[in-house]
Amino acid sequence: MPPAVASAVTAFVLLNAVIGMVTYVTLLERKFAARMQSRIGPYRVGPHGLLQPIADALKLMMKEDIVPTAADRWVYNLAPLVFLIPCVLIFATVPFAPGLGVADLNIGVLFFLAVSSLEIVGLFMGGWGSNNKYALLSAMRAVNQIISYDLPFVFAALIPVVLTGSLQMSAIVAAQEALWFVAYPVIGQLGFLAFLVATLAAENRVPFDILEAESELVAGFRVEYSGMKFALIQLGEYAHMIATSFLGALLFLGAWLGPGPLWLGPIWFLLKAMLVFLVVTWVRWSFVRIRVDQILAISWKLLLPATLALLLVTAFWVALHGGPGV
Amino acid sequence: MSDARMNGHPGFWSDLGQLVRAVGRAMGVTLKNFGRTPVTIHYPEVKRVYPSRFRGLLALTYDPGTGEENCIGCRLCEYICPPAVIKVEMLKGEKRNFAKTFTLELYACEFCELCVQVCPTDAIIMMKSVDLATADRRELLLDKDRLHAIGLDFEPSWATGNRLRDMQAPPKPAKGVAKESAG
Amino acid sequence: MADGEARHVIELGYGGNERLVMNMGPQHPSAHGVFRAILTLEGETVVAVDAVIGYLHRCHEKLGEMLTYAQYPSIASKTDYVAAMTAELAYVSAVEKIAQFEVPKRAQYLRVMVAELQRIASHCLWLGTWCLDLGGALGGGATVFLYCIRERELILDLFESLTGARLLYGFHQAGGTRYDIPMGWAQQCRETLALVERRVDEYEAMLEDNPFFLVRTQGVGVIDKQLAQELGLSGPLARGSGLDFDLRRAEPYSSYEDFDFTVPVEPAGDCYARYRVRMVEFRESITIVRQVLDGLPEGPISSRPGVKSVAQVRVPKGEGYARVEGARGEIGFYIVSDGSAKAYRMKVRGASFSNLAVLPHIVPGCKIADVVAIMGSVDPVFGEVDR
Repeated sequence: MPPAVASAVTAFVLLNAVIGMVTYVTLLERKFAARMQSRIGPYRVGPHGLLQPIADALKLMMKEDIVPTAADRWVYNLAPLVFLIPCVLIFATVPFAPGLGVADLNIGVLFFLAVSSLEIVGLFMGGWGSNNKYALLSAMRAVNQIISYDLPFVFAALIPVVLTGSLQMSAIVAAQEALWFVAYPVIGQLGFLAFLVATLAAENRVPFDILEAESELVAGFRVEYSGMKFALIQLGEYAHMIATSFLGALLFLGAWLGPGPLWLGPIWFLLKAMLVFLVVTWVRWSFVRIRVDQILAISWKLLLPATLALLLVTAFWVALHGGPGV
Repeated sequence: MSDARMNGHPGFWSDLGQLVRAVGRAMGVTLKNFGRTPVTIHYPEVKRVYPSRFRGLLALTYDPGTGEENCIGCRLCEYICPPAVIKVEMLKGEKRNFAKTFTLELYACEFCELCVQVCPTDAIIMMKSVDLATADRRELLLDKDRLHAIGLDFEPSWATGNRLRDMQAPPKPAKGVAKESAG
Repeated sequence: MADGEARHVIELGYGGNERLVMNMGPQHPSAHGVFRAILTLEGETVVAVDAVIGYLHRCHEKLGEMLTYAQYPSIASKTDYVAAMTAELAYVSAVEKIAQFEVPKRAQYLRVMVAELQRIASHCLWLGTWCLDLGGALGGGATVFLYCIRERELILDLFESLTGARLLYGFHQAGGTRYDIPMGWAQQCRETLALVERRVDEYEAMLEDNPFFLVRTQGVGVIDKQLAQELGLSGPLARGSGLDFDLRRAEPYSSYEDFDFTVPVEPAGDCYARYRVRMVEFRESITIVRQVLDGLPEGPISSRPGVKSVAQVRVPKGEGYARVEGARGEIGFYIVSDGSAKAYRMKVRGASFSNLAVLPHIVPGCKIADVVAIMGSVDPVFGEVDR
């Protein structure tokens, strides 16, 4: 069939797979967090709670859609979409196996990083359009935070790019066939660590979750959303979270590389992405959050210089070795 | 991280070390708890063990020997109840009195056990269960028959009026001093 | 209500018209009950706070006049519902003071034991809810909260074995206590204490030295000693500001003089100091309970016969004020009696009511995130505030 149709079909399948994965990742997080807190998570809906995400999705679809009277209607209604679209679009650039992906762009990493930071427009639209002081405060904090942390995020993601010499995702994985980037002495581990910290902040996860700060701002910019629009925002958040986990697994942990036959590759990729996700979740459920000015201080005074320094060191190392590739 | 651009703050490395240690410790505690069994009790398949003095549902009792109702309609429980949920009407009999009607509004009851405390004949007691959930509050307006039925359906707890008063009463000079009491 | 500090913030160059009046309403995840704070914000900084209370007013003082001395202890727990035993103790102490009832030694020791166990349970709740505020209901805060509640449940299980209830104990009565400890309770108590001690070590491991926690709490909400004395603060709030005053040592009641314990005092006056005070109080309370269990004398548990009728406890004409060191500060009951079975007037001095007076002095000038940290470290319980 013509390539356009083939792409469309792949994209459709991928979109559904992503949505399915996102809903079940919420269950994974809830069970994991529950075990760390001496309790069990969802248990009653379906065997061991396996139908809980379906129940939640159905519930959200059936809820009343409330629009505040004084809200800016166009901005308010469009915000979830503007938030969701970049979060799902970035999946298109991630190859799940050699040749299995919607679009393996030769500027793959650049596209991913650029588009993933577009979610902030949707976020701010949500905060502004809700006409609610809590939402506005949280949206302003979020803009502050995400802009500050995008820089270290990009620099940390650039370390594997420099080591490979290409922005194309499949090329990055191919360059890890000998040794995963996370195993490179010092720069690999520190780069991965910086990537994880920047991920925590870019995803608004505790200890950097000043955006939603449940105990202060009661759900932040999402506070006025209900029903399906809220579901779209949740979907977008978790999709973004998983996409960065996939990116982390791809950039540092060698995506589909692993023992066994080639068709096992996507399984390895999924497992590695879930590992990154679980580590981020583990951090999330262990710490209290810090104040917004302290978050910004960490970003500008600690993380940014650190990642810049790492990048420089990587560049020197690559130059010393006479070119990319080990 | 050997770049000289790192600020020359003297405590930087020790601060960083402290951060890493603290992060490790906190995440270690969380991981340790991950390995512990959850404390959840799978109610209603598994019910937890209620202590013997548990203050649950209220009930009226029969005398185990003669099978008669214990309640003599003296209304002491009605007077002492702080939220006044008990209403009793006395029925005079030849040898002893009875309660003609005995209503207890369980939805307003505080479960303070004062009615049990004052009852001279151990007629009203509390059970070791609170399994009377209902969707209609009117079902919790217990009349005498339901109170007696509850008394037969569930397991009674240890406390009765006389036992409580014996536990609290100062010892008579002849008897020995009270030790850790049973129940 | 902007004071000198707030004006400084404005002069530093904020626009001036960018003030936002935000309501941290009675329904709020970190309101610790029902508390309304009307905050005036400039950006992230709080410029003024207007505290509104009264959402939990349940007419306790009127109830004290309507219910007799035999009935009221069963609901005295509702004032400070988190540290219920201390509230009951204060009431019956006031009644005993006016009527000059003797309390047998065993009853006094039992009262000390439950008061200290209740202090441990109350501090567990304090730590859990404070971390919940600091860290979010979806985050590390919830984890510490659930750990603390798990331990508090163990202590409440002890109380349930002792009295049969987990909140409205009705354990105290004028002249002694209503219940004695059952068989095997002392052993269960010791095991629970050992477990709680180990778990407190775990909480400290999670929080102490944790830079995330330290930056949120050090230097935040500083109350200086002068202010604490002027406003009549008490409890860990005052001891965290350097005021070395503890009723258990200053005016020993109920045989506290028989026990050996230290009273922690920290000079700094910030949230971290109050945290340290309460963490040390955890361990001191465990020590006291162990001393009680070791030295519990035999004897009656009440100097008056058990309640057999509603008007049994009669108190001669007079008035009296009794105060105890509750988990949050000084809880006092002032009773005026007219010789009948009911009080003529009962006034409850709730510790949190006086402690909340500190908010307009320390909140302006700090950020929103600090407001929740401060509220948590002040640890109000609105049963006491609104009665």
